[in-house]
Amino acid sequence: MAGKGGATPATYSPSPTTNRKKKPPIFKEDWVRPDGRGFHQCRPAFFRTGAVNAASGSAYAEFGNTKVIVSVFGPRESKKAMMYSDIGRLNCNVSFTTFATPIRGQGSDHKEYCAMLHKALEGAIILETFPKTTVDVFALVLESSGSDLPVVISCASLALADAGIMMYDIVASVSVSCFNKNLVIDPILEEEIGQDGSLMITCMPSRYEITQLTVTGEWSTTKINEGMQLCLDACAKLAKIMRSCLKEVASDSQE
Amino acid sequence: METKSSSSSTNLVDQSVCPGDVILDLSNMTNQTIKLGGGLRQDCDAISVMKAGRLRFSKPNKYWVENSQKRYVPHAEDSVLGIVVDSRSDNFLVDIKGPALAFLPVLAFEGGTRRNIPRFEIGTLIYARVVKANPGMNPELACTDASGKAAEFGALKDGYMFECTTGLSRMLLSSPTCPVLDALGKKLSFEIAVGLNGRVWVSAASPQTTIVVANAIMNSETLSGAQQRIMVEKLLERIH
Repeated sequence: MAGKGGATPATYSPSPTTNRKKKPPIFKEDWVRPDGRGFHQCRPAFFRTGAVNAASGSAYAEFGNTKVIVSVFGPRESKKAMMYSDIGRLNCNVSFTTFATPIRGQGSDHKEYCAMLHKALEGAIILETFPKTTVDVFALVLESSGSDLPVVISCASLALADAGIMMYDIVASVSVSCFNKNLVIDPILEEEIGQDGSLMITCMPSRYEITQLTVTGEWSTTKINEGMQLCLDACAKLAKIMRSCLKEVASDSQE
Repeated sequence: METKSSSSSTNLVDQSVCPGDVILDLSNMTNQTIKLGGGLRQDCDAISVMKAGRLRFSKPNKYWVENSQKRYVPHAEDSVLGIVVDSRSDNFLVDIKGPALAFLPVLAFEGGTRRNIPRFEIGTLIYARVVKANPGMNPELACTDASGKAAEFGALKDGYMFECTTGLSRMLLSSPTCPVLDALGKKLSFEIAVGLNGRVWVSAASPQTTIVVANAIMNSETLSGAQQRIMVEKLLERIH
């Protein structure tokens, strides 16, 4: 793909039509998930804090093949142009690396992720503790393999705790996909493509409070109840992993 | 903030805690007050944690969460190392690694009058005391102690300044003397100023000594007392 004299060669990316896998036969009784998990089984989760030296707090999260890094800066003075506020401001930004998705550069159009991350974290942070200042949360998805937003939210919560930002509780987030009669927890990219609907819950497990609930597609009342219960149980388990990660760091640094 | 409680101490003292952890249940406690320090809040009948760290208790009745972080939250009477970033007619603007720049009034020096206003260039390192630290306001500093004497406060000349976590700076200022400083002080001659805002200034006769001291301090954060002494011995072996 050599360009004409002096022209920069165009970046090569595989055609979207090639390498496209067929949708899994989800309506069959004997359908198994592409990664071999049970319907109600989450991907193995890994967390680590202090990944970015320059930031006030940071965290790295890995859920299967989904890899996310979040940096928190501040609290720092708000820009002069902004109005006075006796509570702090939260500024969230989610971006994708160009190589995060199978199709190059596809992940960069998730603008709504920023607003959803803000909504999910806003209820957990005690904004009154840093008036006139701003806390910046920058999330970078290194590899996207489905259920990106729940991973980003959980990782951001850990980064905020690492930065010493006052919080009511740790925030954990899990999503569920609906396939006809089946509910599948923590779906991967292939499953998200073929889903009939999705439900994402962000909650503070110790306080039994939900900071965000997102539902897409068609859901019956019983299915929603079942899906919510699945998510809440998973959030409680996820929060335990997050707590153990934070406690490990605290005991290491203060022994 | 005071709350009714009994004298029974929580089993989480000196343990790692996270936001959301409940450290005390007040529903079955009466007859005594407890004082809540930083990182704790009363949530109905429970005392819950707001930030990750270690729960500390001091007799008779005070609980707080101690943690190590890169940013600094100003508190009155803290000694800090600040960098002058701007000079105004009435005060200097000083960066103390906090959410906002701090004010250092030109008269906040020993015998400070309009006639002998100090001249600080931008970038000057200053050892100062936090006088006021109210939320929503810029902190106010002074280069005098409570009695108005200069004491150890003022501009720091020469030397080398490096940044660390607030936890490490607290450890360096702890009593009895921190093992790493104790071990270094027995073999080397140097001057040190530690700010609770996570800045440390070291001055020694030779650059070699300065580097050894700075490296030893930076490496000591996650080490136990015995490990700190061993580390200092190994560092000193190389330079002698």
